[in-house]
Amino acid sequence: MAASKSQGSYFTLFLVALTVACGGVFYLSTGFGKILAIIGVVILLASLFGFFKIKPAEGKPAQKAGAGAMKALGALLSLAGWGLTLSGLHFTSSNGGRIVFALLGIAVSLVGIIYVLPAAFNKNAIWKA
Amino acid sequence: MRSIRCLSLLIIILGLVIGALAQTAATPAAAAPAAPAVSAADAELKDAASKAPTTADQAKGDPGGTTTGTINDVPPADPKVGVTLPDVANQVGQNKIAVNFVWTLITGFLVMFMQAGFAMVESGLCRVKNANHTYMMNFFVYGCGLLAYWLIGFAIQMGGAAGNGNLGGLQPLASEHMLSILGTNWGIFGQAGMFLSGHPYDVGVMVIFLFEMVFMDTALTIVTGACAERWKFLAFAVSSVLMGAFTYPLYGNWAWGGGWLSQLGSNLGLGNGYCDFAGSGVVHAVGGITALAVCLIIGPRIGKFNRDGSSNPIIGHDISAVLIGCFILAFGWFGFNPGSTLGASAAGNLRIGSIAVNTMLAGCTGTFGAILYMWAFKGKPDASMSGNGLLAGLVAITAPSGFVSTVGAAIIGLVAGVLVCLSCAFVENVMKVDDPVGAISVHGTNGLWGVLSIGLLADGTSNYGGSWNGVNTSVKGLFYGGDAGQLAAQLVGISTLIGFVFTFSFVLNMVIEFFVGHRVSAETEIAGLDIPEMGQLGYPEFVFRPEAAIFTQEPVLQRQAVAV
Repeated sequence: MAASKSQGSYFTLFLVALTVACGGVFYLSTGFGKILAIIGVVILLASLFGFFKIKPAEGKPAQKAGAGAMKALGALLSLAGWGLTLSGLHFTSSNGGRIVFALLGIAVSLVGIIYVLPAAFNKNAIWKA
Repeated sequence: MRSIRCLSLLIIILGLVIGALAQTAATPAAAAPAAPAVSAADAELKDAASKAPTTADQAKGDPGGTTTGTINDVPPADPKVGVTLPDVANQVGQNKIAVNFVWTLITGFLVMFMQAGFAMVESGLCRVKNANHTYMMNFFVYGCGLLAYWLIGFAIQMGGAAGNGNLGGLQPLASEHMLSILGTNWGIFGQAGMFLSGHPYDVGVMVIFLFEMVFMDTALTIVTGACAERWKFLAFAVSSVLMGAFTYPLYGNWAWGGGWLSQLGSNLGLGNGYCDFAGSGVVHAVGGITALAVCLIIGPRIGKFNRDGSSNPIIGHDISAVLIGCFILAFGWFGFNPGSTLGASAAGNLRIGSIAVNTMLAGCTGTFGAILYMWAFKGKPDASMSGNGLLAGLVAITAPSGFVSTVGAAIIGLVAGVLVCLSCAFVENVMKVDDPVGAISVHGTNGLWGVLSIGLLADGTSNYGGSWNGVNTSVKGLFYGGDAGQLAAQLVGISTLIGFVFTFSFVLNMVIEFFVGHRVSAETEIAGLDIPEMGQLGYPEFVFRPEAAIFTQEPVLQRQAVAV
């Protein structure tokens, strides 16, 4: 099964949820706004539940689960690189020092993105079978 | 004698009293306001009004265009007084804003038309069985992005962007959420402009909304190309809405909306802070990096890679659509870059010609870079890579277009043209990521190169009316005598794109993967997405050739289909 009426219905619910939640944020300083925001979040959760419910009926994709821990490690490395760059802005006041920190940060992030994550996703890839 | 003296004294006293009374009477007369003096300027205005063509003169027609548009077209505040100097000054001010409004809107319309170019390029590079689906993603992403941006995205990005004199100040957008770190305030996200309601219901805000919205949509449509031929339409729609609502606006705020990246110069002395004139980083790198995140999650198409890791070319169905689409994009780029001055009048905005020429040149040298590289190293001037070379040059010049000379632009484009070829090979052969249109390399890799190039090649000839990012100097790169601070600011921007934007997009799309699932079923993928996902073929009268005849690796396709 591919695109279906259920998908269309739950996507409509998702858009309604986002609109109501944003309306709530817009009026957040009022009691009405807070209620609206809560209603929006509830509808959003309902739409996500709907997506999840119909997911198995949409057929099996040509992919297998990769290495979960490695995926988390790759994402963490990517974020850590950014943290390193930001810390450099405060650890040193010289332009050269900040460039070094930024380059190190970029390198750490790239290790996560170019090496760890592809390895994690390709570990059990269909094409290796 | 005595009576004479008394009489004389009486006369003197009477004289003094009369004199005093006369003085008193004369004083108010002297202090009374004089009749309003007619200034020389007002006199000239009245003279010009008297000489202006009458309605009877105008009824005769104006074939030479010499009598249309006179002082009679300046509306006076008080019709009884006629046109005064303040009336003229107000009209001049409104004319400046009007010119800038019209410029920004028309260039925004050009950028909107780029959606058509993207649709043709992406669909042309896909197989015919997925043409409708790919076109539909490019069509629907416009609506998804626009809705999300109107609801909340614009407020996050531009809610604190007040102060742009080109568009009348944009004062309703003066609400940036600040975070104080070690005594320094940093902008994190904007707060005004949701639904464009309340104070942001303003003529200037509407103009900047339209312009920023079409930029945001460009970033969103980059992802559709990289994930084409296997992206579930529902997952694409949800992902695009969330990207237009949160991912893009957040980085957009940090760079353009008064956020912390733009404050690196004023707060820490790093040159002019992070500079990105028209969006190599904000638009293209955000799109390309998000495309990489989703591509990793969604995996390669069936038949793309062999068991030994070598890849198979999957040829697109319509190279003519690809190249025409590239030209449409190049045309739209004249809105993208010159339009990013947000005006054509005042504040150094006459550089629009220079920016447009830089854009043309970088596109030209980008094409040369890709064609010559492919011809010299692979033996053929590959058409799809030539198109990608043009786009790579344009992507790379987007950030520096307002800050570099024509020589700098040519160098940036040439490097981009070669870089896109190398990057495509790296993404496919080393990372084993399947990107059917090369979007990760065109927009991601070259977006980052464009951001970096400012720190090297900005020539310091203009700061657009006094300051850039609150720093009263012109943007100057290392090769033009600038200090390393500008380069450092650009590197911080690159690190933020790779470190934060990638991770944010990755986590967001992993959540979508959990609830929705990004990829269509193997059965749908092999059949082609047009019928299962869209209910209609893109080209219903085409006769499909067997898939294996295209690949010439029939066993690969069968084996991977069975493995599912």
